[in-house]
This record gives sequence, structure tokens and C-alpha cells, in this order.
Amino acid sequence: MGSNTLSVLPDANRKLQPDKKRLLTSQADCYFAFIRAAIITALCTLFSASLYAAQWQSSVISSVLWSASSHNFKQQNYQFTVEPEFILRFDNNAKLTALGRLRSIGLDALSPEGVTDKAYSPFSKPLFIGNSSELELREFYVEFPSDNFYFTLGKQQVVWGKADGLKVLDIVNPQSYREFILEDFDDSRIPQWLANIESNFRGWDTQFLWIPDQSYHILATDDALYTPTSPLMLPQSQAGVSSVEVKPFKRPARTLMDSDVGLRLSRFWRGWDLTLNYLYQYDNFALLYQRRSLTSHGLHVEIEPQYRRTHVLGGSFSNAFDHWVLRGELAYFSNRYFLAEGPSTSNGLAKGEEISYVIGLDWAGLENTLISGQLFQSVVLNRQSATIRDKTDSTVSLLVNHTLLNDTIELRFVCLANTNIGDGLVRLRASYEWQDNLKTWISNDTYYGSREGIFGQFDNNDRLTLGIEMGFE
Amino acid sequence: MKQTHLIIVLISIFALPVLAQNLTDSNVNGLPTGEEIAAHINSRDEGKAVSRKLKIEMRDRSGKIRQRETMSYRKYFAKEKRTVIFYLAPKNIKDTAFLTYDYNDPDLADDQWLYLPALRKVRRISASDRGDYFLGTDMTYEDIKLETRVSTADFNFQTIGTCNAKGKPGLKIEGIPKTQEIARELGYSKTQSCVDNEIWMVRTSQFWDIKDNLLKTVTINDIEKIQGIWTQKNIEVENHKTGHSTGLTFSEVDYRSSVADGIFNTNAMKRGL
Repeated sequence: MGSNTLSVLPDANRKLQPDKKRLLTSQADCYFAFIRAAIITALCTLFSASLYAAQWQSSVISSVLWSASSHNFKQQNYQFTVEPEFILRFDNNAKLTALGRLRSIGLDALSPEGVTDKAYSPFSKPLFIGNSSELELREFYVEFPSDNFYFTLGKQQVVWGKADGLKVLDIVNPQSYREFILEDFDDSRIPQWLANIESNFRGWDTQFLWIPDQSYHILATDDALYTPTSPLMLPQSQAGVSSVEVKPFKRPARTLMDSDVGLRLSRFWRGWDLTLNYLYQYDNFALLYQRRSLTSHGLHVEIEPQYRRTHVLGGSFSNAFDHWVLRGELAYFSNRYFLAEGPSTSNGLAKGEEISYVIGLDWAGLENTLISGQLFQSVVLNRQSATIRDKTDSTVSLLVNHTLLNDTIELRFVCLANTNIGDGLVRLRASYEWQDNLKTWISNDTYYGSREGIFGQFDNNDRLTLGIEMGFE
Repeated sequence: MKQTHLIIVLISIFALPVLAQNLTDSNVNGLPTGEEIAAHINSRDEGKAVSRKLKIEMRDRSGKIRQRETMSYRKYFAKEKRTVIFYLAPKNIKDTAFLTYDYNDPDLADDQWLYLPALRKVRRISASDRGDYFLGTDMTYEDIKLETRVSTADFNFQTIGTCNAKGKPGLKIEGIPKTQEIARELGYSKTQSCVDNEIWMVRTSQFWDIKDNLLKTVTINDIEKIQGIWTQKNIEVENHKTGHSTGLTFSEVDYRSSVADGIFNTNAMKRGL
């Protein structure tokens, strides 16, 4: 994404007017006071309490993957993961949770390092060991109730929304696309250091989020298995371009002023689960600003990945009617940047607004079976110029889940299909629980459709997976 | 005259089953009616709120045993009953939580939610799924919700005699679903229960599936008075169709400590214990 000028960008380094400066300073003071209070409260809560219980649990997950395309079928990868979890409980209801992950991967094209690691904040970045392993503190947070408040402070995941497999409001934490969307969201979500404060106000459950940790979506880098190539995601090479230079990521650097903040109000009203959500965040996808210049060798293109803020305003709902559950979520994004069509636009991007929504219908009329369909649509509003993507982009999904033998066997079919491009992904999975803490599974992921599509771009990366998971307590 | 005889005969034909039922129901040697027994069961003191640990043991036909440990809370908000169950172990199901709001008004469907830690999302569940088996056990969602009570909104109860459960004399009642739709929803065409009429608790129950085959037997092996309230400590459920069985053992039962209202909502399900 990109162009010759940066005229649409506000100058991050411009001089602030004195009164605005004063305002920001007072806002920063408020932030500092708030953080101080929260940290002091957390420390007082922890140190004034006695430890009365400690729990340790761990999971070991191992999987082998085979890839298949129209040309070959070969072993792609093996993966070994250890996830230890520690919980300390104190006698004043405070709880400290630590969750780690050590992951070793036996294929360079999926190596942990083969990602846009500059998108991690320095505080959240995993430790890469060689080019095949990573060690990460996934979550580390303290929880404690205090009067009408419930505090969760530390590195954690926050999940909003009611959609399955498609994200509209589940955007608080960024995500790793190292394996595109094949990893479970619980594993691919990137936990962040944040303050999560919940309370109840006049019948509404409120959740306030303050997220100083600036991590963004992680994408697979060049030559990795799931490196994006679709023109919907990356600028394509053009005739006459002699060289392309990708500049370092330009990251927001101000800890306080570049923080994300969020607010969610939720309540149960006449059978409806309702939420109202607001998030002021940096869009988790880097915008690929392009700058073109003519050199003696031809056209030179500089790509400078940057992050831009957006307001997100949305809500969600769900209710049950007989055998049916209706659910949905909607979000409006005030500032979005899309890859522009044609070389005429200055920086390769077209600014606009976006509305995304999901409507889902679950049916559970058959015993131990769930059938769920979803329609996801994203609509671009007020585009400044034509975009590569269509104004309205639609994806439909179907999930069929069936359990047998008292939930020891689970069969799952998932299909995601983009109706604009005609590409999609079909996922099949069967799992068997041998014992309380021993489960095996076999799964198949098949992409289809045009290489220009979000799913079709990985048409050569169909895969078969065998996995085993053991738990220890 | 002939016409009068015909009317009498017709009335006799149509009224006979009703008369027979009434005879079976209310006056099997002067026993209380099924509805009276059901009312006694449902008016038994359960405490305003309770917290307890529940250990679930699931055994399959081949002898394989799976175990779950949960913590559950129940509380009455006026006549509305709210129940939440948190799974504590094993690791692969830990943090799963189930919440139900059971309304006193029979015209109002229950509201139910399930928190799935793998998704980190609370999923709304249709109350019409109440005949589905609850997380691999031999209890349905409806069984879990009712606990020791019986549903007079779904069944017509009649007394069919006396019974003996583990040496305790009792009254035997039969429940027939009020409609075919309810029968299909619950998965039961008939139930028969032996009720201890000293403490008005069900000691054993049998359930027949909608094809009228014996489906499962529920036996309450251990009943104890805790803090003044008769409490079931162990329940065994045997599924005759699958050969699978489930044992439920309650411990640390506490009716006196307060249970916070805030634990019965979807945010508390996500936070877990």
C-alpha cells in the first residue's frame, strides 16, 4: 500500500500549540494518576494477602503436518508445544496467573522467526531461540475484586463479539497470521499488557480497557508458507518499477498518548444479550504507504509500513428462540485505508470508512449437533478513490459440529466462502478423547478458488494434520 | 329408552379411561395424587442459595473412566432460580462454565449460556436443547437444571403405587409428558420415580425414551441433612442404551455462606473461579 506524498497523514512530529500541549499534559497526568492508583492498589492487594493455594498445570501438544497441492504431497512440518500455567491464589480473593509457551517447529517455512516481528511491542515479543523455537510469556496478570470493581491487570487476552471464526469486534488484541487463520484464535491472538477494569453501573456491566502495549498483527514474511500474496493484501509489482525498498516499520512510540482505550457496556435485557463497544485503537494491520521516485534505472518504490488510528463503534446481540439462536455483531470504523486501484493515487492507499457486520444463526434441533451459518459483510463508505477490494465484500460460513459417545468423539466441518472472489476454505476435523488428559485429532484444511482471493492465495497449501495433546496437573 | 342406553354406553366408553386414571392416581389405597407428591417435592426447602463441589465420574461400556471436578452455585432471586457450574479439572475442560436462569413462569423459556475457554466466548444455548446430554454425562441439560425437583410444567404426574428404594418405603409416581413436542424435546416418553414421602425426595427414577424403551435409571445413594436441609450427596445414572454411566458426588455443601449475585452473569463465567 503506498504513494508519492504523505499529505493525508497528520504530522506526528508537528509542534503542538501551547493550549493543546497543556491539555495533553493534563490528560497524561490523569493517565499517570490512574496507572499509579491501579498499580499501588494491585501491589497492596497482593502484598497484604497471604498465599493460600498454588496450582500448576501444563499441556504438551505435538502435531505433524503434511501439505498437499495439485503437484505434490509431502511432510510439511512437525510442531511441539509446551504450555505451562501457574496460578497463585491469595486469601483476599486475588489471583495471579502466568501462562507460558515454548514452541519448536521443524520447518523453516513456518519458523517462528518468519514473521513481521517488528509488529511486536518490545514488551510482548517472544524470545526466538535459533530459527526453530520460540519462548513466550503468553499471559501474566493479577485479578482482584475491590468494592464494585474487578481489576485484571497485566498481559492478557480480551475477547469481544459473538461471531465464530470471523472477526468484527474481536479486535482488541492483534493476531498472528503465521499460519493464516488455521491456528486456534486462542493461540494466534497476541496478548497485550493492559488494564482491564470491570464494574456495574445502573444495570450495565462496564468494562474499561487501557492498552499501552502497542503490538500489531503479525504476518508471515517472505518465503514463509503463509506469506500473503493476494493483491487484496499486498501491492503488486507494476510495469516500469525497477526496484522496491521496504522501509522499517514506523511504530507509534509514545507509551501513553499512543495507548488504545476501549469501553464495553453489556447487559441482559428481556432475553437479549446486548453489548455496546467502543475502541480507540491503531489499526492492527500496517498500512503500506508507497513513495515513488524516478531513478536512472527506472521507477523506484519505497514502502513504509505505518499504523493509523481509528475509532471503532459497535455492538453485539444474541437471543434464543426455540431451537434457534440468533446472534450478531456490527462495527463502524471511522478511518480505514485500503489498497488503491491504479497508479494514479498518491500513496497507493484510499482512505474511507468501513462498516462490518456478522449475522449468525445456530440450530440445535438434532441431538448433540450444532449447525451454524453466518454472513459476514464489510462495506467501504466514502472512499476517496477506487480500491482494489470491492465496495462490499461478503463471506459466508457454515459450521456443523457433532459429538458422539458422550462427547469423546467430536466431528467438525467448517466452510468459509468469499462470494466476491469465489474462493474459500474447507476444514474437517475429528478428535477423540482417550482419557481425561489425552486427546488426538486429525484435520484437513483445503483452500480453493482464485489466487487473488484471501483464501485462494494459499491454494497450494492444503494440509493434513495429525495431533496429540496431553495435559499434566 | 334405547337412546338413553346408547348415551350411557358411549359415556362409559369415553369416561372409562379417565375414571380408571383417577382411581389409579388418587385413590390407590388413599395415597396422595401424583400432582400432590410433585408439589411436595418442589416445595421442599432447598435453601436460598448453595455452593458445593461436584465430582463427576463418567464410565463407558469398556470400563474407561473420565473425571471432572466442578464448583457449582445456585441462588433464588424471588422465584427465579439461577445456577452456574464452573469446571475446575481436568485441564482440557477447565474453565468451561454453564449458566442457567430458570423462570418460575412456565411460559417463559429458560435462558442458558455456555462459556467455552478454547473460544474465550460465552455462547448462548437454546433452552430447547434441554434434552441434549450435558458435557458428556448421562444427565441432560434439563436434569442438571431441575436437580432434585420435577417439572410439573412438562409432565402430568400420577401415583401408581408404593415402592421400596434401598429399604426406604416410598410412593411411586409416573410422569407422562404433556405433549408430544415436550416428549421429543426432553427425549423421554415416561418417567417413574420412587419418592421418599418422609423427606419428599426422589430416591430412584427410571426414564423411557420416545420409542418407549427403558433409557436410564437414576439412583440417589446418599442423602444427608446438611445445615437443616436434606441434601443428595451421591447420584448414579445408568444409561441402558449405551452402557455408559455417570456418578455425581457432592461435597463441601454450604447453604449458609452468602453467594454473590454477580457470579450469575456471563462476565463472571469468563473470569472463572
